Amino acid sequence: MMNTVKISIRQFTVLVMFYTIGTTILIIPSSLAADAEQNAWIAAIVGWLLGFIAVGLYILLSRLFPNMTLIEYTEKVFGKWLGNLFSLLFVIFSFIGASTVLFYMGNFMTTQVLPETPIESFTILFAGIIIMGLRLGLEVLARTAEILFPWFLILFMVSTLLLIPEIEIQKIQPIVEIGIKPIIKGALSFVGTASLPLIVFLMVFPAFVNNPKKAGKAFIIGNLLGGLFVIIITFLSISILGPDFSERNMYPSYALAKKINIGNFIQRVEILMAGMWFMTIFFKTSFYSYSFLKGLAQICGLKDHRPLALPYGIILVVYSLVVYPNVVYMMDFDSKIWVPYALTTCLFLPLIILGVGTIRGKMKK
Amino acid sequence: MKIKKNFSSQSGQHQIMVQTEPLYESLDENIRKIKEDLGSSDDIIIREIRIGREGSVKVAVLYTDGLADKQVITEFFMESLMKKDTLIEPIEQLSDGDKRLESLKGMVLQIGDNKDITDFASLYNSLLSGDTVILLDGYSQGIAASTQGWQSRSISEPVAQSVVRGPQEAFTETLRTNTSMIRRKIKDPNLWLETKQIGRVTKTNVAVMYIKGIVNDKIVEEVRKRLDRIDIDGILESGYIEELIQDEVYSPFPTINNTERPDVAAAELLEGRVVILVDGTPFVLIVPTLFISFFQTAEDYYQRADISTLLRIIRFISLFIAMIGPALYIAITTFHQELLPTQLLISLAAQREGVPFPAFIEALMMEVTFEILREAGIRMPRPIGQAVSIVGTLVIGQAAVEAGIVSASMVIVVSITAISSFVITGYSMAISIRMIRFVIMGLAASFGIFGIVVALIALVLHLCSLRSFGIPYMSPFAPFVVGEHKDTIFRLPHWALSSRPRLINQKNSIRKQMSPPSKPKS
Repeated sequence: MMNTVKISIRQFTVLVMFYTIGTTILIIPSSLAADAEQNAWIAAIVGWLLGFIAVGLYILLSRLFPNMTLIEYTEKVFGKWLGNLFSLLFVIFSFIGASTVLFYMGNFMTTQVLPETPIESFTILFAGIIIMGLRLGLEVLARTAEILFPWFLILFMVSTLLLIPEIEIQKIQPIVEIGIKPIIKGALSFVGTASLPLIVFLMVFPAFVNNPKKAGKAFIIGNLLGGLFVIIITFLSISILGPDFSERNMYPSYALAKKINIGNFIQRVEILMAGMWFMTIFFKTSFYSYSFLKGLAQICGLKDHRPLALPYGIILVVYSLVVYPNVVYMMDFDSKIWVPYALTTCLFLPLIILGVGTIRGKMKK
Repeated sequence: MKIKKNFSSQSGQHQIMVQTEPLYESLDENIRKIKEDLGSSDDIIIREIRIGREGSVKVAVLYTDGLADKQVITEFFMESLMKKDTLIEPIEQLSDGDKRLESLKGMVLQIGDNKDITDFASLYNSLLSGDTVILLDGYSQGIAASTQGWQSRSISEPVAQSVVRGPQEAFTETLRTNTSMIRRKIKDPNLWLETKQIGRVTKTNVAVMYIKGIVNDKIVEEVRKRLDRIDIDGILESGYIEELIQDEVYSPFPTINNTERPDVAAAELLEGRVVILVDGTPFVLIVPTLFISFFQTAEDYYQRADISTLLRIIRFISLFIAMIGPALYIAITTFHQELLPTQLLISLAAQREGVPFPAFIEALMMEVTFEILREAGIRMPRPIGQAVSIVGTLVIGQAAVEAGIVSASMVIVVSITAISSFVITGYSMAISIRMIRFVIMGLAASFGIFGIVVALIALVLHLCSLRSFGIPYMSPFAPFVVGEHKDTIFRLPHWALSSRPRLINQKNSIRKQMSPPSKPKS
């Protein structure tokens, strides 16, 4: 039964898009502004372009091993022990990813929206729907993404359109004043948050997509769309809030939505805009979790990952509370550790698999 | 409930009583057994008569008073049996039993539809369905002639699903009338009908209707399988069948639609769906059903396309108001006051000043009051209706506000929510939405908009996991099928609706080939 689950190209594209946007839309403008100042939007574009290298790598991997998941071909390439060791690295990456995203969610709610509510209540509630999604399976998650996509699009379009009058173009000037290096640094953090974690899709791509030939294109389009949304938000926050305020604010896109004011009637609608982040964060956490559970199940040789969902959810909630002891640690981790960590797991590891896989494939011939 | 239990405890005995025992040869013995088995019920009429010129052939005519048409019996049986003319003559001369029966059937009975009976089980079945049974002395075989004719409600206007424009007839309680109403709309030899009896005690006729060649055979097969699986003492309404054959048991959402309109049933048949009719109820079931079906009415196809589209959009807006209206009010007044323009906020705060309850309790009270009033309005004897509506207006209205129990704005929110829930065309869907509303209200009271979004994501997850007879419940939204959006939220003109829903039937999907009507060339 497990192998008959297939998602369509459209669903896959939407999922990739949601996943790319994920938490990126909430936090990346801030870290980009820290690195590249008023050129943050250029850094975002560069990062976006660099992201295609990662996606290209994943597509190459999938061409090499069609009908297999990352875990399966890691084992095939490196044998049982070494393969499982590498797989474990990937699975742990997914788990850490999921818990950090859950923490962002809770932290955002406690610091910005409902300061008096304990963070646990948000994470538990959110983990609840993630467990529900995991138990219902990949197909249902994909369909949910399809239904929520137009809502996301409407919210995004409305917020963007309403923000256009607030743009002050002088805030992004002078362009490319600070040189290339900060831009590259910013771009790397963009890649680290938005593109590299796309490795989790190697658990569904291309084995669970109903048209593997077109799936590569869908992967690229999803990443392209997702990146585009993030670039727009980055541009808006720099040009409206200014680089300085964007940098100091932890959630600049939320501050951005506060700026909306149309005829003193449509104003302070930031919480409605937050609705779209809840959606994207849901999909990001769900997919980290999905790849973790699926990966763990495959390493352990289990047929079905669903029974693991509930215990996993409980552990996830607890771990999300300890993964970052405090916000300072979070900022430090995100800017210094996360990018190299993501590069190791999501770039070098697949590169090694690709290299060894290709050599072994050629040797067989 | 109690009655039902009694039934099922007796059904064991019942089973033993109605065994497939063959008929006896002796007429007296047969009659004795029938009287014994049926407890000499008064409405079972047994007439023993002697026919033939010398009255040497003993015959018994049995029918159920009230179920069989007396006029038919008198005209076609009694008269021809009793008439001592030449027609009867050969009967005495024929010694062979089969021949006697044959001649009885062939010459005496002018009723078209009759069948042979050899055992008691089928005898009771025929007798209690309104057939007239004729037993001949000396032969372990009888004839059952179709004489059904009982008092039933005539065809009337639909009560639950009325339209402004469109046919004004509704199904009745009689299965045969209902099938004929569909047949009258679809005169195609491919409209097939399968009937089976379900219910150990009630033996209710359940008919499955579909158009061969359009319907997906797998779905018909699935319907058959699920109907055969049913083992219950009685089916009194199609709701029994619905609950017993639906895909997902633990879901507030109905995965089987029902209608009392023959035109809707015909339209669904044409889309390749299967219609299940149950004797004794005007509500027929339609499978497979999609979420979207509950927001469409028959009239959408009778009005002009643009009007229908507008009405459908209004229905969807109503869905959202009915579902999250009070929750949004609670969330905004409790947590997100900044959303409101200052003027409005001040006036809201002034209204709420005298109200001692938090918004959630206030909303909960009003919603529960409304649900009670609504329920009372349905169940109550009709003449009292007036009284309740007066009291109701006072409770959800000025008096409640003046007493300082609720704020005026809450009254508005509850009223619009209530009205919106009645706009949803599927009654069973409206009930589900009302139920979910309370859950979302609770989440909104604790987490604000975050709670609402979480509830909505959970809701969408659940909806996407549902299937109706194997068809994804949320299609054509998820999985998204571009071609089918011409008849979901939008209703394109009829000339554009050229194909049937693809997920429901894979073959024969072209409905018509038409180009838009063109103006006469001048």
